[in-house]
Amino acid sequence: MTAFSAKRKISSFAMLAVGIVCIIFSLALDCMGLKFFIDLGNGNLDIRGGILIVGILLTIAGIYLFPTLKYHRAIVYGLFLFPLLATFLVTVIIPLFFGIGYSFTDWDGIRVRNVVGFENYLRMFRQPGFIWSILVTFLFVFFNVILVNLIGFLLALLCTTKIKALGFFRASYFLPNLIGGIVLGYIWKFIFSSVLTNLLATKSMLSETPTALAAIVIVYIWQYGGYIMLIYITGLTGVQADTLEAASIDGASPCQLLTKIKIPMIAPTITICTFLTLTSAFKQFDVNLAMTNGAGSVSDFMGSYITNGTEMLALNIYSTAISQNQYALSQAKAVLFFIILAVVSIIQVRTSNKKEVTL
Amino acid sequence: MKKKILSVLLAGAMVSSLVACGVSTGEETTGTGDASGATTETAASGDAIVLLNGKPEIDEQLQALAAAYTAESGQAVEIQTVGGSNSATASDTLKKDYQAGTMPDIFVAEANQFANWEGMLADMSGEAWTENTELEYVNEDGTVGFPYMVEAWGIGYNADVLEAAGVDPSTLTSPAGYKAAFETLESKKDELGLTAVVDYGANATELGWSTGTHMFGQYLDAGLSAGADSEWFDLLQDGGKIDADRMTQFAEFIDLIQQHCDETIATTGNYDQETALFAQGKAAFITQGSWFGANLTGSDDYSGFKCGIAPFAFADGIDTICGGATSYWAVYADGNVDAAKAFLQWCSEETAQKAFVNECGFVSPFNTVSDIPSDPFAEAVNTYKSNGKLSPMHTFEKKDGLQNDTSVVFEDFAKGNLDVAGFVDTISKVCEAYYAQ
Repeated sequence: MTAFSAKRKISSFAMLAVGIVCIIFSLALDCMGLKFFIDLGNGNLDIRGGILIVGILLTIAGIYLFPTLKYHRAIVYGLFLFPLLATFLVTVIIPLFFGIGYSFTDWDGIRVRNVVGFENYLRMFRQPGFIWSILVTFLFVFFNVILVNLIGFLLALLCTTKIKALGFFRASYFLPNLIGGIVLGYIWKFIFSSVLTNLLATKSMLSETPTALAAIVIVYIWQYGGYIMLIYITGLTGVQADTLEAASIDGASPCQLLTKIKIPMIAPTITICTFLTLTSAFKQFDVNLAMTNGAGSVSDFMGSYITNGTEMLALNIYSTAISQNQYALSQAKAVLFFIILAVVSIIQVRTSNKKEVTL
Repeated sequence: MKKKILSVLLAGAMVSSLVACGVSTGEETTGTGDASGATTETAASGDAIVLLNGKPEIDEQLQALAAAYTAESGQAVEIQTVGGSNSATASDTLKKDYQAGTMPDIFVAEANQFANWEGMLADMSGEAWTENTELEYVNEDGTVGFPYMVEAWGIGYNADVLEAAGVDPSTLTSPAGYKAAFETLESKKDELGLTAVVDYGANATELGWSTGTHMFGQYLDAGLSAGADSEWFDLLQDGGKIDADRMTQFAEFIDLIQQHCDETIATTGNYDQETALFAQGKAAFITQGSWFGANLTGSDDYSGFKCGIAPFAFADGIDTICGGATSYWAVYADGNVDAAKAFLQWCSEETAQKAFVNECGFVSPFNTVSDIPSDPFAEAVNTYKSNGKLSPMHTFEKKDGLQNDTSVVFEDFAKGNLDVAGFVDTISKVCEAYYAQ
């Protein structure tokens, strides 16, 4: 097989070799904190980045010209995927592994002084405040998944009937979802602590931990209910009219229509909505930050006085890093958070796959 | 043929986008040295020193100061301003800059942030300016913090109201003195137009910085002479221990304040509501410090009444207020140290200090100028300062984030969920737990 000229072979191998050397050289310089200057007469120019780019381009050209027939197609596909893969690698995969790495050190956001092993992971479970955060998050998720879905579903039922101004209702229920969580949080904080207190002459709901948590749940439902409603509307309108008609001819009452026909027919929608609310409630951050910033006292939890009564997991991670300046500990908490979310997502994918099969 | 042209175009686009991305990052790394950019127009761009400022409200004044320095010495100074309400913003920017290798030559730091930069800051001991101030920040690395402003806090008061009620502020150096003053004012509330005697806010979300940092600081330092060590701070640093006797006196004093404050503002009010109440002349005292002057003069409700600061006298004989430099400028050891030191020396001298006082409204930490800003509290701060009655401010050196926890205890106390003994007990537990983490 002499499908490839000697010239092509040589140029491919040469480009690959030079390219890889360039990449390694520039990365090595970077790791050692050095720069590579060339004198342009009117000042030095650092070409460390330039070397890296030339190296990458040469490597790509070398791979493209690589003398193989069998794998040429695969190589071309790979090259076209490269920009996306590289972006994914740089923005997701590398930070993820860096983050896991940092969680085993005493990183303070500036430098790593010591490797501490599992110390951060043990420490976070010795903080009653953190355990409280986990429990509160689960509680919040539990209430939200039920209430958001229930209210979203009821709104959807309402918005699929023949009432007037349907478009207006649908739009206005959906509107809160378009407002950012921080803005929403501040609006509702004003309502809870200034408007309602004056109207009802009561204490602000945000002043005690249990009521403040309830307030966050209310705001979250208000924000998310409309979105879930839209998905349910799509599901409900997808239920075929002839099925419903046949059922009503057979004498099914509206209640039976709902429980025996509509709900079973939209089971996949329910699954989707459940997991959507589940994951997004877990990641609750902005409303929490704007409304209470986590403050709230609990007089006795695991023998301690807790001061972060309304602080959910994501906010706890944030404040551990930012206001307590414990970046490594925060990173360890973030890894745990990642694991929880990953487990939830995997279950989600598994369940929805199963449902799709049965359809 | 068409297909071929299209594929060539697509491939070309891909390569050029790669190159474009690469070039811009390349420029960023090369641009470190001469990032003179839009902020300063100077010829000597290659050696511009960069100052990271954490106070957006004085950005313009600093730009003017930098321009004046450049005109005088030929050394370009670039001012980068970040931040907003909280100090975390500047420290986050610095962390990012450090990772990117673009550290500024001079940057803002608060007392408890110096430990992060241990071994990385230039020692400024022996600089001429150190002779003219006692407020520089010194640690194991030497003199690392250049003070550029003085803030102080005790209990602010409306001097006109006190005068009308016949209360002499000089009697406010003991709990008994305060009790008498509060009771006098309480009895004349209607005639003086007051809705509350003391304007006190303890909502942890809104005013946690006030209770958790500043008021807690009074427990640590009130009554100590300037520059003294605080046994209560040392105790706190030793595993978060609290002196129960002193804390009880402190709690009883807070309790006294709570008996004479507006309950709604105390438990749920925010800084704006607190400001409005005092600015309208509806409260005689406020638990804020010198920084509050700017909010007061900025308020439409403020009629121009005279103000003063009284000691936070929770025990007999406390006649000082806590004060000093609340934030410093530090010089990065791997930066342009000599030029940075020269600039800071210039900043401590008369021209620059006059600008700091008159343009930025800072009370000067240096004794090179006698000017006092036009701020309503500045004169009081300056009097305490020149009489040597400024207690230190160890509260900024306590473990990062403790204020978030203690402020919740203050709020619980204000809401009546805790009594004096409960407050002392809870705050001791909270501090110990926080230091044990």
